[in-house]
Formats: sequence, C-alpha cells, structure tokens
Amino acid sequence: MSQNVIRIKNVKKIYQMGKEHIQAVNGISLNIRQGEVCCLLGKSGSGKSTLLNLIAGLEKPTSGEIIFNKKHIERMNEDQLADFRQKYVGFVFQSYNLLPTLTAMENVTLPLIFKNVPLKERNDRAMEMLKNVGLEERAHHKPHEMSGGQQQRVSIARAFINSPQVVFADEPTGNLDTRTTYEMMDLITAMAKKNNQTLVIVTHDLELAEYADRIVMLSDGIIERIEDKTQVEGEKE
Amino acid sequence: MSTKDLLDMALRNLLKRKLRTFLTVLGVVIGTASIVVMVSIGIGMNESFARQLESWGSLQVINVYSPNGDNGRYMQDDDSAKDANKNGKKVKLDAVAVESFRQMAGVEAVSPIKNLYLMLGSGKLVADANFIGLDPAAMEALGYKIDEGRALNGEDVKSIVVGGGVEFYDPKLNWEMRMNSEPPKLELVGDKVEVSYDWSYGSKHADKTIKANKFEVVGTMSADGSNGWSVIMPIKELEKIEKAQQEWEKKRNGSSGGRGQKQQSHEYEQVMVKVKDIKNVQAVQQQIKDLGYRATSLSDELDAMKETTKMLRMVLGAIGAISLVVAAIGITNTMVMAIYERTREIGIMKVIGASLRDIKLLFLTEAAFIGFAGGILGIGVSFVTSKLVNFVAMQQGSDMSSSIPIWLYLGSIAFATIIGVLSGYLPAQRAMKLSALSAIKTE
Repeated sequence: MSQNVIRIKNVKKIYQMGKEHIQAVNGISLNIRQGEVCCLLGKSGSGKSTLLNLIAGLEKPTSGEIIFNKKHIERMNEDQLADFRQKYVGFVFQSYNLLPTLTAMENVTLPLIFKNVPLKERNDRAMEMLKNVGLEERAHHKPHEMSGGQQQRVSIARAFINSPQVVFADEPTGNLDTRTTYEMMDLITAMAKKNNQTLVIVTHDLELAEYADRIVMLSDGIIERIEDKTQVEGEKE
Repeated sequence: MSTKDLLDMALRNLLKRKLRTFLTVLGVVIGTASIVVMVSIGIGMNESFARQLESWGSLQVINVYSPNGDNGRYMQDDDSAKDANKNGKKVKLDAVAVESFRQMAGVEAVSPIKNLYLMLGSGKLVADANFIGLDPAAMEALGYKIDEGRALNGEDVKSIVVGGGVEFYDPKLNWEMRMNSEPPKLELVGDKVEVSYDWSYGSKHADKTIKANKFEVVGTMSADGSNGWSVIMPIKELEKIEKAQQEWEKKRNGSSGGRGQKQQSHEYEQVMVKVKDIKNVQAVQQQIKDLGYRATSLSDELDAMKETTKMLRMVLGAIGAISLVVAAIGITNTMVMAIYERTREIGIMKVIGASLRDIKLLFLTEAAFIGFAGGILGIGVSFVTSKLVNFVAMQQGSDMSSSIPIWLYLGSIAFATIIGVLSGYLPAQRAMKLSALSAIKTE
C-alpha cells in the first residue's frame, strides 16, 4: 500500500472563549496516504475545518503531533511554515480567495512569483494549468468578470500549479450550484489522481464524499468512523 | 520574490487606490518642498553673505600680521599670538616666514604687503592714494579684480594698477573749486604716470629736489570694492620709494626720523596668503596662528555671519521638518488603513506561499514608493518655488535668495524615500504578523 504522507497523532485543539474551553479537536489520530482522496466529513462544529487548518499548518495544535514527510508541522515557526506551504501544499477555498486586482493568469502565477520563478516559465505554466481547467480564454479576465465556477477553476489551477504533494480543499463547492459542483469535483479529483497527488477535502456534503477513496467522519472533535472504499468495494447507496 | 515582481506588485497596489495614494504623496510633496525651500533660503542667505564679502576681497585670502607690530591689532580676537609671545618665541614676519607660509599645504600664493600714502601725477593732474606694495606675481591670485587692462605679473617692475576710485584733481585749484568741479575722467591704461612722496607734488610748493618715479599704468580696478581707492605696485619699488622718503625726511629734520627703527630688521607689516580651496582657509589660518602670528580672513567674518543666522536657518529647517513629519504620519496612516483593507489579501498570499519577508518587503516597498514619488515631485515644486522666491525678491530689490544645490535635490529624494520606508516599517511589521488563517476567515 502507498506511504503515509501525513501522520496525525492524538491531536487536540482547545479554544478559549471567555471562561469556557471549547474542544474543537479532541484527540484525533489519522494517517493520510500518498495519492489518496481523503474526505473529512462532518456537520458544522464537528471540528473538520479546524483539523484541516491544523494539518495545513494554519493553526497550532494545543497538543499532539502532525508529521508531514517526517517533519513536525506543529514545531515549525512562521518562516518554516511559509516555506513548507510553498513547497508541498496547495489550497482551494470555499470563497475562492482570488486577488481581485489580478487577472486569472496572474492569480494562477502568484505561487510561482513567491517561488522566484522567471516570468516566461511562470506564464507558460499558468497557461498550461488554465488549459487543464478549461479557462485559457479567460486568462486575462479579472475575477469579478467570471462566474463562481470559473473563479473556482482558477483557484484550482492556482492550487495545482506548483505540483504540490498535498492539496487541501475546504468546502470547495460550498458556493456553487449542483451541476457545477460535480464538474468541479470531477476536475479536482482527476487532477490529483493524474500526478498521484494527495487531496484532502473538507465537506459536510455526503454527495462530495462519494468522490473520496476514504471518508473520515467527524463529530464533536473526534473520529466517529472511517469508511475505506479501497477495501470495501461497491458500497453505495 | 524577485525585486522586479516586488516593485511591480507594489506599484500596482498603489495605483489601485489612486486618490488615496495621491493624497498621501501630496503630503510628502509638501513636506519635501517645504524642507528644500527652507534650507535653500538658508543656503541662499549664506551665499549672499559670501557674495557681499567677496566684493570686499577674496574669501580665500588670509591677512597675516606680525605679533610685534601694532597693525591689525583691532581685528585680533584671540590670544594665540600673545601666548606665543609669552613663551618667549620672538616671531618675525620676514622673508623666511613668507617662505614658510608658501610651503603650507593648500596655499596658492603668498605676498608681503606694504601700505604707503603717496601722490600720483598724470600730466597736470594729481591724486593722493594709498599705495599697496605686493609681490606682482601674486596679484592675480590675491583676488584683486581688474576692470581694464591687466593685473601685475612677475615681470612687472615699473608698473602699477590704479583703482577706479582714485580721483585726480588740478593741484592749482583750491578746495572749494575742486569740490564744485566734476572730477576729470582719465584713460590711464598704457599711460606713464609719476609717483612721488612729496605731498605738494604738482603744486607751486613742490620740492624740486624730489625726483618723481615714472610708472606705467597696466590696468585699473573697479571703483567699488575694497581696493577702489588704492594703487597697486610691486613691493620692491614701493620699498625703494619709502627708503628715499625716509632719507629725505632725515635730511629735512636733521636727526633720526620717526620711522628709523623700522629699518633694523626687514620685517613686513602684513603678509597676504591665498588658499586654493576655501575649505582649507580656516586650517591654514590656524596653522599660521600656531606659529605665533596674528591672522585674519574674511572667512572669519563669513563664519561669524553664518553663526548669527544659524538660529534663523535652524528655525526655517524645523518648519520644513514638521511638515515632513506630518507627511510621514500620513504614510503610516495610509499603510495601516491598507492593511485593514487587505487583511484577506495578505492572508491569501501567506497561504499560497508568500514568506514573511515577502509580505514585509511588499509593504515597505509601497511606503518607499510613496516617499520616493513625493520626493521627486517635491523637488519639482521646490524648484519652481525657489525660482519664484528669487523672482519676487529681485522685484522687491531684496537681497534674500533661494539657492538649491544638486546635493539638496538628491539628498531630499533619498530622505523622502527613507522617511517612506521608516513610516512603512510599523505597518509592514503588522502585516507580517497577521495570521494567515484569521486573514482568510475575514469575510
């Protein structure tokens, strides 16, 4: 079986709200394998988004270990995290998070700008990515000139342009209609599969979970159940 | 992130909010311009002093007096010469001293100076004038300004240069008639004139035993300026005339004349030292003082004038500085506002791989741009203002002027840019510290 790219060991995250302590993630251990599509499924407040933020190094766990390629993410400082995100991680957000003043093309090249890739190569690679998501004709449009689906395609292109080892998607279709949702999911899983990239999707939507190799169901900050479709074949509603 | 991308992105971010950027830049423009104009008025003030003093004589010339004589004592304002005398050192202002001055670093020319009041005759007209004897080779370097003809040079012996203010008159006329008649205008250059120590020269009381010396006028000096009433002559010739005069006096008075003692040693009353670079004047002057001589220069006067206006110039500079401080606060304010607005953008950049350094540099660059643009436009405004000040001052006949040297232009651009960077530092630090997550969550 493939290697574990991320190993999570007994991770807890406790928020302090006034005098109350809220245990958003309450002792989760999980391994994510290289090349799999892993879905963190749960209702609002189940701790799924917090878990994603912890894995991606956007937040620090209160306790526990998160190991990415043998490196402890929870021990990294801001500079190391920036470097880590630049090299290994891509993000797709519910609200696209494109920079409104940049064109689609420029948005896609942004990660490469921070990586100091020369202009020519940057633009070639961005065009290639835009072709992959079917938006080469919109390359020079600003985000506000595009539909939600198109914007999300741009953000997918941006997430994949740096060939990251892992792509995190937080409710990637939350703002899209049903038809576009399927298009988007087909696209993102296909892109991940093509280069054996790991995809971690956070959603509350059971339909999206259908695209996953493994579904991790979360509730009240703990793992309720893990459904591994690579082992239990053909189990569908 | 490459520098080019950084500049590109910073510029783009600024252009996105044109009005706000413009207003912030405007603050810097006003700040820069007010500093530059204020400083330029201060500089103009000093320059006009220098010009004023230049008209009295060269600023690069140091006048050296013997500590033994009493010439120039009224100018003396420090005790170095007296101290040197107390130590028992008897310094003489003689040919050896002249030579030692000549050897000093930065000295361009040295000449001993002798002053003597003599009569000058041209045809039937005469004039009385102060004759200055000097080393003819040094005349040009010593800053005597020639109006017509030429200055004396090393080969001149029986040549003189006459000041335009020297007034000729007919000795046959009495005072009243002289006052009422126009002074005759003479074209002296090229003419032979006579020089005599006889005070009655040309009149009917003239002493026929005194032989006048013939000199050729090679040039004239302008009537305004400190040497307008003087006649310049090679010092050797003047010394000869003085000697003859003393002998004549001795003969006439029978016993020793008043000036007899002077002859004991060949000491000069005064030596002029010309320094090549005005910056070295004070150093050379100090060196001469250290040898035990008394030394004064117009640059002392200039320094004193500058000193008295220092306070005024500082106040002017402070007024300018205050407006630049206000501009700096404006930059900081704009950048802090920008961070609030762009919290999300900063978060996105962080999440997709911007390093802390990238974020910090981006904001610093934007602030630096504001400063730089303000500096550039500011000096443009200062240039126009400076011309305007000069124009108005000229119209009113005022001596005030504004002068902007190139270093002030370049310095103020650099200064404005640095102010920009400094003002941007706090906001940049703040942007850098924003957590990527909280930045993204802002909706």
